[in-house]
Amino acid sequence: MKRLLPIAIAVVALVFPAPVFAHATMEKVSPGFRERVPSSPRKLVFRFDQHVQVVPGSVRVFSSRGSVGSIKARSEGRFMKASLPRLETGAYTVRWHVLSSDGHVVSGVFTFGVRAAAPPPTEAFGASGPTRTEHVVRWLYFLSLALVIGGLAFRLIVLRGPLAARAEKRFFVVTGIGVVATIDVGIAAFILRAEDALQLPFSRLLYGDLSPIAHSRFGTVFIAMTLGFALVAALLFLAWLTDRALFLWPAFLLALAFASGLSLSGHSAVDAGSSWKSQVADWAHLSAACIWIGGLVQLAVVVWPLMPEGRRTAFLAFSRLATVCVGILLLAGVYLSILRLPQLNDLWTTGYGQVLLVKIGLVSLALAWGGVHKVLVVPAVARGEAGGRLQRSLVGESMVGMAVLLVAAVLVDTNPPAQPAPQPPAATSVTP
Amino acid sequence: MQPPPEHVHWLFATGFLMLGLCLVAEAVVGTAVWRKRTWRAYLWPGIAFGLGVFMWPVMVFFTSSTLHMLAHGIWAQVLMLGGATELALVRGKLQSSWWRLGMASAFVVSGAALLVHEQNAWLFQRSSFLHHLLGWTLLIGAVFPLARCVRPRSQAVAAGFALTFVAIAVMLYCDRDVATVFGHISPLAGTPHR
Repeated sequence: MKRLLPIAIAVVALVFPAPVFAHATMEKVSPGFRERVPSSPRKLVFRFDQHVQVVPGSVRVFSSRGSVGSIKARSEGRFMKASLPRLETGAYTVRWHVLSSDGHVVSGVFTFGVRAAAPPPTEAFGASGPTRTEHVVRWLYFLSLALVIGGLAFRLIVLRGPLAARAEKRFFVVTGIGVVATIDVGIAAFILRAEDALQLPFSRLLYGDLSPIAHSRFGTVFIAMTLGFALVAALLFLAWLTDRALFLWPAFLLALAFASGLSLSGHSAVDAGSSWKSQVADWAHLSAACIWIGGLVQLAVVVWPLMPEGRRTAFLAFSRLATVCVGILLLAGVYLSILRLPQLNDLWTTGYGQVLLVKIGLVSLALAWGGVHKVLVVPAVARGEAGGRLQRSLVGESMVGMAVLLVAAVLVDTNPPAQPAPQPPAATSVTP
Repeated sequence: MQPPPEHVHWLFATGFLMLGLCLVAEAVVGTAVWRKRTWRAYLWPGIAFGLGVFMWPVMVFFTSSTLHMLAHGIWAQVLMLGGATELALVRGKLQSSWWRLGMASAFVVSGAALLVHEQNAWLFQRSSFLHHLLGWTLLIGAVFPLARCVRPRSQAVAAGFALTFVAIAVMLYCDRDVATVFGHISPLAGTPHR
């Protein structure tokens, strides 16, 4: 009987329903995320999936100037209600905390607007914007993308046909690291942005509601890119498992397509003057950079040490591909620079312009390095006279490329100068 | 429009049940008979890998807390890793049976994620109980994939490995209080809260 008792307790605990389970999840709120309401709402109503209790400071509301005053909140079963003072026209940030039935404080943030558009939660009152850690994470994201997209492009366009087993294995290892890092660094970037929006210490961030951030443009792109690169990882694995390069094509095209997420959520999509052309240019700029830098890594890490007989062909083929990439990179880069910095003096008078100048300097160095390879090394390689120093030179060029990506990461997180407001069309008099 | 979490848990429970039943069948009839049809060898590792891929939508769409998002991300990766190493072993891309440590580490990481993710005591509530039970089942169950590295032909190890998946499936089916198969069969449960 004593032996059966623990089993009986376990069965009862599993089979019989209980009134509460894991911590509370907010199901609905009124006004909703980023909702524009025609007049000042009298109260905020939160609905959770289980009973909740209010804690001191459960609801705090901020306008762009700061707190709108003390807000009294009360819980009614699964609902929490907070009366609001009369709110003027403008955007508001709501920060909320409730005590869940499991004893954990669940927190969240969202924005709404009274007769005005509300900003995304990542730009809520109190959010400080991208930090130095976020610059580094974004850089790692660019590097990971370069390893995946550049690696796949190199294998499909430069190294066509079967490879020696060791070279094939190393290609899959390098590209595999890239795709896993793309997913994991993307998750880290999302959580860092959520941490800034929620303004919570890490222990409380664990119970932070991320759904408003997931519903923003940034969040939608995060969802799409995570799912896309999970598929790329699966296709890459299938290509390795079955020895069929056929799977690499959909992996490459998917990776290229989902990389556009960065262009669809960055300056090229949301800033004044952005259009589908700026988004396409941004995507082409990023893709060309990834193919160039990722290809250099493959050349230095896979071809040079493991394929001595294939060096010449690979180097000449990559040289042609890199020339096309550099052309696209320059065209798209110049177009985007003119779009974001219409005045030449913006280059040295604004923070964005100064970071762009550093990037241009590094790109020039990388281009000069690539130019030396093109003019001096390509003929030598074509004659079969390439020395062992070329591998070190390739590593050096790819390091400069990686430094360019670091500056690009800072540039993406920096706001370009405000565009001058378009002039209203001159009034015309119409005579009957 | 999101499905309730319990529906997602039941879908994954069904996946684990299928995986476990394949392994049970292999343990009963023996690997030689089971693999008379080549595709059968790929069946359970393929299901594990597929479950890993399908875990990603759960991770990105259920964002009610950072903790859940991170835990589902970890499970997605370890399921893909465990399934991938087993597929590669079947295919012959990997030879050493020590690669089976991939599945053992998937069990350990998954179990640890469950235990870290539940910060209340066993009997605090049913979800706590289930999280602890699932976590410890996976941690203790990691002995079986570990033993498969050194005793790949042991029927007892194969059976233990298979039954661990079946047990996980049963626990996942027990999740949440509104399960029609378990829900509110007792007045002690109180009124449904959803």
